Amino acid sequence: MAHKRLKFLGVAAAVLMLAMACGGSSGGGGNTKQYKIGLVTDIGGLNDKSFNHLAYVGLEKAKADFGVLDSVTESHSGNDYVPNLTNFASKSYDLVIGVGFLMQEAVGTVSGTFPNIHFAIIDGAGTDASGKDLGHTNVQSLFFKEQDAGAMVGVISGMLEKQGKAKKNKGVISAVGGVSIPPVNHYIAGYKWAATMEDPGIKVEVGYSNDFTDPAKCQGVAKGQINDGSDILFQVAGGCGLGVLQAAGQAGLYSIGVDADQKAADPSVIASALKKVDVATYTAIQNVVKGKFTSGALTFSIANDGAGYAVDNLTLPADIQAELKTVQDKIKAGTLTPPADIP
Amino acid sequence: MSTRPRPRSTPPAIRRLSRGLAMPLGSVVLAFVVGGLLVLATGGNPFAAYGALLCGGFGFICTQGENPALQISNTIVFVIPLITTGVAVALPFRAGLFNIGAEGQLLAGAIACTAIGIKFSSLPSPILLPMVLIGGMVAGALWAGVAGVLKATIGAHEVVTTIMMNYVAQWFLRYLIVGGPLQLAPGTSKSSPIGAGARLATVLPNDNSLIIFGLPSSVYRVHTGLLIALAAAAIFAFLLWRTSLGYEIRAVGQSQKAARYAGVSVRRTIIVTMLIAGAFSGLAGATEIAGVDHNLTDKYFSDSTGFDAIAVALLGLGSGVGIVLAAILFGALHAGGSVMQADANISGNLVFILQALILFSIAANFVGAIRQRIPGLARPPTALPPEMPPAAPLMTEAAAPPLES
Amino acid sequence: MTPVTDILHLLFTANLWQATLAAAVLLLLPALGGVISERSGVVNIAMEGMMLTGAFFGVVADLAWHNPLAATGVAMLAGALMATVHAVVSIQFRADQIVSGIAINIFAAGLTVFLVNRIYGLQDVGHVGQSELIPYINVPGLDQIPFFGKVIFQQNVIVYVALALLVLTHIVLFRTRLGLRIRAVGEHPQAADTAGINVFAIRYGAVITSGLLSGLSGAFLAIGISNTFVPNMTGGRGYIALAAVIFGKWTPGGAFIACLIFGLGQAIYDNNSIIHVSPYLLSMLPYLLTLVVLAGVVGRSTPPAADGLPYVPGSE
Repeated sequence: MAHKRLKFLGVAAAVLMLAMACGGSSGGGGNTKQYKIGLVTDIGGLNDKSFNHLAYVGLEKAKADFGVLDSVTESHSGNDYVPNLTNFASKSYDLVIGVGFLMQEAVGTVSGTFPNIHFAIIDGAGTDASGKDLGHTNVQSLFFKEQDAGAMVGVISGMLEKQGKAKKNKGVISAVGGVSIPPVNHYIAGYKWAATMEDPGIKVEVGYSNDFTDPAKCQGVAKGQINDGSDILFQVAGGCGLGVLQAAGQAGLYSIGVDADQKAADPSVIASALKKVDVATYTAIQNVVKGKFTSGALTFSIANDGAGYAVDNLTLPADIQAELKTVQDKIKAGTLTPPADIP
Repeated sequence: MSTRPRPRSTPPAIRRLSRGLAMPLGSVVLAFVVGGLLVLATGGNPFAAYGALLCGGFGFICTQGENPALQISNTIVFVIPLITTGVAVALPFRAGLFNIGAEGQLLAGAIACTAIGIKFSSLPSPILLPMVLIGGMVAGALWAGVAGVLKATIGAHEVVTTIMMNYVAQWFLRYLIVGGPLQLAPGTSKSSPIGAGARLATVLPNDNSLIIFGLPSSVYRVHTGLLIALAAAAIFAFLLWRTSLGYEIRAVGQSQKAARYAGVSVRRTIIVTMLIAGAFSGLAGATEIAGVDHNLTDKYFSDSTGFDAIAVALLGLGSGVGIVLAAILFGALHAGGSVMQADANISGNLVFILQALILFSIAANFVGAIRQRIPGLARPPTALPPEMPPAAPLMTEAAAPPLES
Repeated sequence: MTPVTDILHLLFTANLWQATLAAAVLLLLPALGGVISERSGVVNIAMEGMMLTGAFFGVVADLAWHNPLAATGVAMLAGALMATVHAVVSIQFRADQIVSGIAINIFAAGLTVFLVNRIYGLQDVGHVGQSELIPYINVPGLDQIPFFGKVIFQQNVIVYVALALLVLTHIVLFRTRLGLRIRAVGEHPQAADTAGINVFAIRYGAVITSGLLSGLSGAFLAIGISNTFVPNMTGGRGYIALAAVIFGKWTPGGAFIACLIFGLGQAIYDNNSIIHVSPYLLSMLPYLLTLVVLAGVVGRSTPPAADGLPYVPGSE
């Protein structure tokens, strides 16, 4: 009996494998050079409502514009960074993009192993284990000055509070961060700095949900801040942070979105701090396609429209709009510099 | 459950092996078929998907330029911790305990390894490496010991206690490396690297300029922790089947009452079992740090090795060889999933669906049920495979409490 | 302004307890399902997967039909379907119930994201409009009671439903014939069978009920508290619910107390903006608290005698 059973399974397996071998085919192929771009996301995945998703948007736009062959791998855990990056590099992809500063060390390692492959990393550089930038010539770092974007929405918040045009007008605003990591803290730093600049008596509360995926957790933290008098809530927590926007909506207050324009997430969203990860991704791919890849750091800030803000669901009074323009110009000119660390 | 004697021509060992493998293998095939239908139903190409999965997992049939040696190497790296944590879950199972806390114990081991590896980073390898590994084992043992002691003394259910300890470990990790004592530098949310003496060597030289199998040899990250993992599986099998402690563990697992009558100290066995299980898990954590990461990062917060290990332990049917094979399957699926997404554009989450289908298939013995219905393949109904541990790990006592009215 | 005084201060605010109850209910619903299922003798650790499935399909339905009631129904149905898989595999095929439960969780996690990719592609899952969410309702009159009015009567609809279900579950399990049968099947299935009780029907019913409840919790999470689906948004609550079941000694009231402890821990943590202690140490609070209470107060937990054992008619 065992023989027959095993034989049956063996034949089935062989047929299956044969079918797979014949079925699998490689994509692409044409007469013109088709660039192969590989994107490795962080563990949030493509649906994180945050920077992974934006990178994907940028990739797809590049695909539409340049006809590149795109390939995406979502990392399910930190253990996947190195193998995912290596897979693309070992297949001689024209550009391997890593998303997120948690991937810095992995990019540093893999870029060292494959000096002839171009790498780009969002929110970081190719580093060694001590965090030191290795300065590999095949790595382009795409940094963002989130504090610029945070500052702009901070201006809005500060001025609304000062003029008594918010909802409670008690001089308290707040921010909910995901985890206390640099990209999150940059946003909050700019926010607090700018709000204090516009309204020196303002109090800015900062809390962390320690989560990027569970809206209920961020809603809880937001409610705690609302109970403490917060009037305008800035979410810096990805998918979790959507709960912040909703908490504000339920309480009839204002909220501020992050990374992308979050106007549709909740009617209470009056502005969003933008981090144009899609633009950065697109730019990196464009550079490679046009043969203009350069190593080193590319910084996306308000100066080159890589960071910014959007006004949603609210018409700002003229003086606030004017102030926004003034501050924006000053930041571009360098006379005003939002801090990177929370003051 | 009749056995029909017939003339046999193949050696009994091979017969036993093939019979033991047939059901899990058949279950895997069945799961793949169902998964393939799902892919087809949602507009994908199942053959491309599975081809990529096979390529990523085992280096077979790589059609898009993947390097087979690299794929095999990546798979092995995933497999290593699964073996040791699989053992950490399988051993308590035998005692009727459900160790859902393998992940927390692994974290404890990883933390201890890192702390020791940093503090004593100047010590040479023959001293530091055993220190960090043993330190990891001790930390893991302590972590599991809490649950074991609570269970043995006051009967606190180990599912609750180990889940709690998991969370405590997670938050302790974050406390240490995000703005805490082990943090490398402000804002980095990771620890300093451990000393060179605490590192496990890779099997192939870590050299960018040496080309092996077509790629720089530093891409092959397989490390000597593999030997540790295999040794753990062997020790587990030896411990369980050839020592008196193993006998006691199995006795307690079968029936606490009967074991007590036989003179086995149930309390002592429970505590010792959890301590050993924790040690294995802690060893897995330490090995990961020493062999792969060389520092502690926030990725461990959302690590799922300890949970995959539960499936590995259950799939492995409690034998050392079974655990290794199950670990290989899960490691291959993990590695293959990434390649499948990159090459065939099928969401890597299909791998999770496949894992689940395999688990269902094996647990429910669908293969057996199907076989009953196919003439010529049917064989007399049997109970669960004899090596399965008692299917009631949540029970603490054989006696039933009185019904409340 | 030490952390301890901060926390003590908080404990006297109605807001904290209002948040506690809301967080507890998210855990209570799957826990009630777990109690029912395990009382009938089927180990159910699949709450996480059933909740996640309910959350996903609830969002999909609400986005399509703009009707929170119908969407909640869909969510419950989705949870029940997942539960049916668990029931069939565990009861019919007599699979190891722990394996089956784990497989459901893995399956749900993979399936939901797989479907997000397949259905929504690049656009990602949308947001449900504010008027299409499960509403928050202040019970008129009762909500003006000082302190307790805010805590109990200014909540989401599902909270009221959950509290009603809590009482209902207790009454059914311990005061009706159905409950007696369920418990009998969980303790002595052979004897129950001999007495004419349909063991399989009771077990199927219990497991499917747990699916309905977990699905309801998923709906609460996705279209009551939140307004969209984020992968893995349940965040381990199903496992906490399991711990609550065991902690509460397989009784609805006991499980509720455990859920309140976790809810309290979460609610205290939510105020980390103003409590001056490391948020990570604060996060450990509910879990350490549970261990302490478990060790000091709860003690031995004995499950139903036939919990986890597939029923084979004619055995024993």
